[in-house]
Amino acid sequence: MTMSEMLKQYGEVVGFHAMDSLMVIADMLRGKKIVHVNSTKEGGGVAEILSSMIPLSKELGLDVSWEVVEGNPDFFACTKTLHNSLQGMPGGLPERQIEAYVETNRTNAAKLNDVLEDADYVFIHDPQPAPLLGYFPNRKGKWIWRCHIDVSSPNRSVWRFVKKHVEGYDASIFSLPDFAQPLPHPQYLITPSIDPLSEKNIALHKSEITKTYGELGIPMDKPVILQVSRFDRFKDPLGVIESYRIAREHVDIRLVLAGGGATDDPESGEVLARVQEAAAGDPDIHVLLLPADAHRTINALQSGAAVVMQKSTKEGFGLTVTEGLWKKKPVIGGDVGGIRLQIINRFNGFRVRSPEGAAIRIRYLLTHKWKRERMGVNARQYVLENFLITGQLRRYLSLLIALNSSGGEWERWL
Amino acid sequence: MTEYGKKLPFRFMECALLTLSTGVRAQSVRELRTSLPHVPISSIYYHFWGRMLRPHIAESEFNNDFASWADSGLGDMELAEALSAINPVGCSDLGEIRSILEDILDARLENGDFMSWKKSDREFYFIACTKMMFDTGREIASLKDFPLAVKTSSRQSFFHHFIDGRRRSPEGKDDFTIWLEQFGDETAVLRKSLAAIDSYLFSLGELKGQVVSLLEKNLRGRGK
Repeated sequence: MTMSEMLKQYGEVVGFHAMDSLMVIADMLRGKKIVHVNSTKEGGGVAEILSSMIPLSKELGLDVSWEVVEGNPDFFACTKTLHNSLQGMPGGLPERQIEAYVETNRTNAAKLNDVLEDADYVFIHDPQPAPLLGYFPNRKGKWIWRCHIDVSSPNRSVWRFVKKHVEGYDASIFSLPDFAQPLPHPQYLITPSIDPLSEKNIALHKSEITKTYGELGIPMDKPVILQVSRFDRFKDPLGVIESYRIAREHVDIRLVLAGGGATDDPESGEVLARVQEAAAGDPDIHVLLLPADAHRTINALQSGAAVVMQKSTKEGFGLTVTEGLWKKKPVIGGDVGGIRLQIINRFNGFRVRSPEGAAIRIRYLLTHKWKRERMGVNARQYVLENFLITGQLRRYLSLLIALNSSGGEWERWL
Repeated sequence: MTEYGKKLPFRFMECALLTLSTGVRAQSVRELRTSLPHVPISSIYYHFWGRMLRPHIAESEFNNDFASWADSGLGDMELAEALSAINPVGCSDLGEIRSILEDILDARLENGDFMSWKKSDREFYFIACTKMMFDTGREIASLKDFPLAVKTSSRQSFFHHFIDGRRRSPEGKDDFTIWLEQFGDETAVLRKSLAAIDSYLFSLGELKGQVVSLLEKNLRGRGK
């Protein structure tokens, strides 16, 4: 089998044996129609993964497409409430939002009828498009619900509402065992990933990094502590500012909080305003609101930072952690969700539970340069072995094969 | 045609290990013991072998997840050591491993000094798995080409043939060794060296490096 230019480029990063292996598995799904559905084309981890996974899948000869459900502000207000509630926020869903949620899925089902009815495999990402399944009683293929959210301790009444829409799926996928909930179908565990060839993760020349910092008005005169994330309460940007203020009493640093908006996140403006208020008057704090496609800028920011943070209080997986690790940065992350799987204390970063904990780790990393460098080397290798897009796609494709392979045996020879 | 023309080729398989939530979790030794008989048998496989294919670092002190959790989750070093002493390759099947685990947990719970109620702040999640093997159609017939073929196999393929092969073989032999046996004395030293590799103390990448290095050293210039 010959390898295309794109596959060769991946091969140079992950090894050609890994690409050969992926091609063998992809070959078993040739001719099958695979569709992914989510709620935004840009902004957020899901859109980023699909932006890489779809072209890579096509390059492997797979018939794959990506559809996005369209909704009005009430729909996105509802899905944001769903998102927060599944991560534990108390409260219920207003009736108007529920109506918008159901109605939006009904109209999108009609729009996507031809694509989804005949698909061999359909991946529905997160709760936003979950009710689509109910509009396809004559569906031909297997439908999989992919949950990217930390639903380890959900608001129970909201989970019951979502469960009603997802229990009919053939399988679901969660990022961690902690997130899985009782459902009447197999629940697979697959971690998300980053794309080493994307604008956000390719290696940049030092001059480009310096230029980007200059353009953003951030002097590189002292070590930069960076958190890249949506302005979302669960990312705890205010906690990061507090950590910075504690650490700054001992080490001279800058803090950069860089966030983008996503079209399906109506709350980000409110959180951003609070962050700007907290940062006001401190010339060493830089709050950046970047467009959703500023991938190369984020890459430069991460590459130029001394320490990357992701001090989330809830986190599905934390792809910004993966990105930081890939750029050989030790990462200080909240001791929650997928961050626990990515950061191994003292090996490639530190997991913390408070602003004080984050501050002491910032100080430690800045005063132990050789440890920081050693942890950075570990960090990249760890991502290479575990969290790249080629590995995630391999697991997705294997899952599809498993769903259609006969027998309930746990060991299957195909 | 040399004598190698009569030998059977080595056929490389690909492997994928899909992990599944069982929904069963434990927070104490008693809960672990109570749950153990009820989890799918693939869960025993996952917690002894599957760990090699998931994110982990090489410096793991223990050879299975039960032992690691007893240590880091419960702080019970005595139990961790007992659980870590299980040699899974020496067991006839996964059911026997489960029985040994149950015996060790029973013994710990019967110990009067032991705080069986002690709860971990980190739950043990029983994870099940589906292991799928795919025939790649790739065959290697000569000793000369074998080291490079192993070197360029995927980590999952290497896992299947070297690590999991030892479990599938009644004599605890990996697939490479079984294939090399047909070459008789010519590969005897190599087979002995392969058998001496402890597959539980290294990461998959490190193990592959060791195996490839042995193959290169022993088979350089051999065969057709």
